[in-house]
Amino acid sequence: MLPVAVDAMGGDRAPGEILAGAIQAAEQGVPVVLVGPENLENTGGLPLIVASEVIEMDDDPAGSVRKKRDSTLVRAAEAVRDGKASAMISAGNTGATMASALLRMGRIKGVQRPAIATPVPVPGGTPTVLLDAGANAEVQADMLVQFAVMGSVYATKRYGIQKPKVGLLSIGEEPGKGDTLRKEAWELLNVCPHINFIGNVEGRDIMTDAVDVVVTDGFTGNVVLKTLEGTLKAVIGALFGAFAQEEYKEHAKALMPALLPMYATFDPDNTGGAVLLGIDGICIISHGSSSAVAMVNGIKVAQEMVQTDMVGAIREAIAASATE
Amino acid sequence: MASIERSQVVATVARNLAEILEIDVAEVAEDKSFKDDLGADSIALIELVDTLEQEFSTTLDGFAFDDDELETLITVRDAVDYVMRAHGA
Repeated sequence: MLPVAVDAMGGDRAPGEILAGAIQAAEQGVPVVLVGPENLENTGGLPLIVASEVIEMDDDPAGSVRKKRDSTLVRAAEAVRDGKASAMISAGNTGATMASALLRMGRIKGVQRPAIATPVPVPGGTPTVLLDAGANAEVQADMLVQFAVMGSVYATKRYGIQKPKVGLLSIGEEPGKGDTLRKEAWELLNVCPHINFIGNVEGRDIMTDAVDVVVTDGFTGNVVLKTLEGTLKAVIGALFGAFAQEEYKEHAKALMPALLPMYATFDPDNTGGAVLLGIDGICIISHGSSSAVAMVNGIKVAQEMVQTDMVGAIREAIAASATE
Repeated sequence: MASIERSQVVATVARNLAEILEIDVAEVAEDKSFKDDLGADSIALIELVDTLEQEFSTTLDGFAFDDDELETLITVRDAVDYVMRAHGA
């Protein structure tokens, strides 16, 4: 397999944690190529594609890809396009990562807009795939159908779910609930033969096994994701705060073996990052504060997506849905 | 300056934009706004600009859009006019 291109300069903890993760992934047998400046240190002997510029977190996503043509993000995407890498991963500017991948790798034919698919942890169960988690603030109903098709393929490839249950995020389970976009999308999803549509779902269903794939527009998806992250952080913080009190310490110690695995389930470093679906190549978007562990998991997901030919499967699914 | 027919530029812009937005080429008229009428976001516009640079570099060596002028491209006509001006028309 061709190596996974790792943007060594992307993310709040780059390059230290990114390099540490890349080296660990390589030690575990995943071929890796770094993309970074010529003088990059502590690379562990990994091969390097030289890029002299870095797209910062606050750079304009689309414009920066044109203005910083020798950036690590753009060069990583070009490595995939040019057959030097099998996939790319970055913990840097999400919008610019998407723009780089889209502009350099291109879209799968028939895909209107790519979408960011993020696994949301489900306690004791398989994660729910939420898309779009932020790529497209405004969408049309037929785009949500494509998201459903692509999300279903991803849930099958990543988690082995054969007929993923697809839900449309709305404000009530009944078909008539929601705004014009949701009502139009419901009608289209309900007659789409390529997915297992179960109807509307609500925010409270996402972290349960009631649904496997949740489709929504990128604005709503991003708000949902950030709300979940913030809520989990607050709840976990409150729990640990309570446990730190003297009278509960002994009880807390007894509960730790049950609570720590749950904590690990909710840790975004363990989800393996989000995947940009609809691109003619594999692009993993890791969260901005990614640690070495997050990078290892993301790189492994990239390898898995390459080996299971997720792009080919999405291409087939989109082509099949276009013939309706 | 290389000469080029306006109708050829209009057709090239329309074809590429239709491919990028996955819409019917007939929907792309010169007076249409990229964002408000055709639903193109900033990345779609950059996609178009990149593609047009490749297409028109065959008629004008080194043809490129000035990044600082991209925000002046509001309608399809703006893009067509830009290409025409670059070709000296």
